[in-house]
Amino acid sequence: MAGLELLSDQGYRLDGRKASELRKVQARMGVFAQADGSAYLEQGNTKALAVVYGPHEIRGSRSRALHDRAVINCQYSMATFSTAERKRRPHGDRKSTEMSLHLKQTFEAAVMTQLYPRSQIDIYVKILQSDGGNYSVCVNAATLAVIDAGIPMRDYVCACTVGFVDETPLADLCYAEESGGVSSLALALLPRGGQIALLQMDARLHQDHLETLIEAAMTACKGVSKVLDEVVRQHLQEVSVLTGE
Amino acid sequence: MFSTLKEKVGEVLLPGDEFSFDTDDTISLTEHVKPEKVVCGPGLRRSGDRLVVCKSGVLRHKQPNLFWIESQQRRYVPAKGETIIGIVTIKSGDVFKVDFGGSEQASLSYLAFEGATKRNRPNVQVGDLVFAQFAIANKDMEPELVCIDSSGRANGMGVFGGGGLLFKVSLGLVRRLLTPHSEIRSDLDQLFPCELVVGMNGRVWVKSSSIQQSLIITNLLQSSDTMTASQRQQLFQRVKQGPL
Amino acid sequence: MKDTPLCNCERDFLLKAIEEKKRLDGRQTYDYRKIKITFGTDYGCCFVDLGKTRVMAQVSCELVAPKDNRPNEGIMFFNVELSPMASPAFEQGRQSELSVKLNRQLERCLRNSKCIDTESLCVVSGEKVWQIRVDVHMLNHDGNLMDAVSIAAITALCHFRRPDVGIQGDEVTVYSPEERDPIPLSIYHMPISVSFSFFQEGTYLLVDPCEREERVMDGLLMIAMNKHREICSIQSSGGIMLLKEQVMRCSKIASVKVSEITELINKALENDKKARKAGGRCGFAESMPQERITALKKDKTAVEMTDVSERANEIVQKAEALPQTVPSPVVPVPGVGQVGQGPQNTWGLDEEEDEEDSDEEQEEQVTKMEEEHSENKEESRGGEVVEISDSEEEEVVILHPEKPDRTPKNTGSTSHQKVAASSKKRTKK
Repeated sequence: MAGLELLSDQGYRLDGRKASELRKVQARMGVFAQADGSAYLEQGNTKALAVVYGPHEIRGSRSRALHDRAVINCQYSMATFSTAERKRRPHGDRKSTEMSLHLKQTFEAAVMTQLYPRSQIDIYVKILQSDGGNYSVCVNAATLAVIDAGIPMRDYVCACTVGFVDETPLADLCYAEESGGVSSLALALLPRGGQIALLQMDARLHQDHLETLIEAAMTACKGVSKVLDEVVRQHLQEVSVLTGE
Repeated sequence: MFSTLKEKVGEVLLPGDEFSFDTDDTISLTEHVKPEKVVCGPGLRRSGDRLVVCKSGVLRHKQPNLFWIESQQRRYVPAKGETIIGIVTIKSGDVFKVDFGGSEQASLSYLAFEGATKRNRPNVQVGDLVFAQFAIANKDMEPELVCIDSSGRANGMGVFGGGGLLFKVSLGLVRRLLTPHSEIRSDLDQLFPCELVVGMNGRVWVKSSSIQQSLIITNLLQSSDTMTASQRQQLFQRVKQGPL
Repeated sequence: MKDTPLCNCERDFLLKAIEEKKRLDGRQTYDYRKIKITFGTDYGCCFVDLGKTRVMAQVSCELVAPKDNRPNEGIMFFNVELSPMASPAFEQGRQSELSVKLNRQLERCLRNSKCIDTESLCVVSGEKVWQIRVDVHMLNHDGNLMDAVSIAAITALCHFRRPDVGIQGDEVTVYSPEERDPIPLSIYHMPISVSFSFFQEGTYLLVDPCEREERVMDGLLMIAMNKHREICSIQSSGGIMLLKEQVMRCSKIASVKVSEITELINKALENDKKARKAGGRCGFAESMPQERITALKKDKTAVEMTDVSERANEIVQKAEALPQTVPSPVVPVPGVGQVGQGPQNTWGLDEEEDEEDSDEEQEEQVTKMEEEHSENKEESRGGEVVEISDSEEEEVVILHPEKPDRTPKNTGSTSHQKVAASSKKRTKK
């Protein structure tokens, strides 16, 4: 992939975006009837479905219950057809277990779990098509689903991956860029307070560049949050029209 | 038998060492033979006509005929009447479940506190420490704790107040701390004023005027576990003097 | 088996202690525990002690077919094993959250940062490559496993030698160590992870949390860096909310710590090399533990009982580690047996060498505590007074002038002691 030019001299990326430009985000809330909350989100070519159940009684072993707050249970899976090569195991391998863990952690920070002691909140996320930034797309989709389920949150959680090429931070990486050996950073942000719920970075990056990269990621996250905000507003409007208000 | 046991007092015995009940080779026929009676403590077991050692340690003797093995065990096995420090893990109905480091959790009734009645329940939260005594401890039943003595008094037992630090030491050190004229305790006396609660299950709770002092006592006790008396005294002396 | 639950008083105490900038083992906020690196008889076997945390790493290799998409690259495989031996909380045969976390973090730290030249591990393109396997086993858990794991893994990789291979036509011969000297791996840089724990919603920050501190912390931030100040991976975990400034501050601390640890690893490797050269297969090499890394101090004026006692605490720590002269049933480190350690050879590093703190922090000052500490050490070695450190930014303090200062302090504390003699006891049996 070394020959691939990720950022042209004119400042355009592989898919024609500017360095700090996000991919197109489209989302729907309340896509399933059975679930307490659900959402579908497309960010460029990455597509994800998120479903939320709960808060409900603890399933499985009762010993997991916490006496002062709710347990969040996340499951991340990738559809077998989501990648170019057919996936054999949709979930359960190390990478997806880790991803589930990260999602769980992100939402533990954002959801007001102390309001529901001894209960459980399930978040299931499925990647339908993978084109980079899986973690971020999942977080964004799950946020919408949690909002749809009416579970109290401190703020939206928005996530975005950023890369670093030629001293320039690139926002919202696509698959080609991610696999092109860019050092990438995934960040989940609660935009209003500027608090970082999760921070993860791979590959080498000099310490001095860290600040610019985090800064870029935060800006990108704020951009995502605006889009999500609009989606939620529109959805609520539609719903209230239907209920005749 | 008695004499062979007596000979070995203070020696290290290993599991599998045996003592036979056989009397000496020559028995006088004329003299009246008193039946020998030996009380076996922890680490000694009777098997047929033999006395088998089942823990490694030093053989100890107490007048008139009590023998036991003093071992450096780390896991606590409950025994009736012993006082322990437990952590309340579950509040369910009218009993608390208490973790004391044994093989299963003990139950502690809410009525087993001084002055507790059906109306007047003690204020115990999950995660609180209790200093309690075993009322039932045998291998067939769930161990049961009480925070009152036979006359219904608290006698020092009950729920701990706030503050203080809990730490673990070996069971051997706990026993050394609890001997009537414990040297460690008297050494510690000369350092700082502190409140010390020692549970037979190897848990020690300490509270002192400052965090720093509590930490020092914790570290001192934990390190004196593996020290000889002279080493310990040296160490305590140095701590007492503060800067060297 | 279930772990002992944490009681409320312990939690309150720990949090209060952290507020007062005190730690259970007398460390400062940004101090690491003692790091000790030991090597096994084989190449690629390494033990790391981080305080009472102890891990073992073993590197092994075999010839396998490469992956389809990477025909001329060797394969790296990492495995972190949490056995119930290390802690009662670890369960056998189940992939716990912690084990997934450690495994992935190690992979990310060492594989994704491309610290090992995988192309040099190719023997026949598309057919035979070396698979390097790093197995890290926990031996004792006392907090901060990730840092111990990363140190052990990278040290073991640096220490490892793979057999040489020769290719004649289609035939690949693997030479035994007697025939040809084994070859070390080519390692570009050494990523080392540094963990930060946050308390009270990020108000307080500690480096290298021990097990009890980990149990009361809100969250953890792991930063893996190399000594060139390149960040190799960052991972936050536990539901904490970080601010950007906190991350930046942590990355600065991490860079200092990493350079110190790297130095220690290099020294240990060098010592081992020397020892091997000198005595052939002499077995266990041991680097002296890095004594202490002290940064960010409280002001010097505090001449209270607390200060005195803090020193005392240091002494306690010291006394535990001192080689015991009295014949006694003393275990080197309470609670931890020295498993698998053969007869130690005597060539070890001089203690002074390790005393040089390579701290480069601005706030760094040599405190009295440190003097105490080194003076203490001096005594055990013949009573000469030497300067403590040769790092430029530190003040060099000569020990003598301090002496007059100390005497009044002494009297002060003893009088306090007299008052304190009446100790209240509540011991029961």
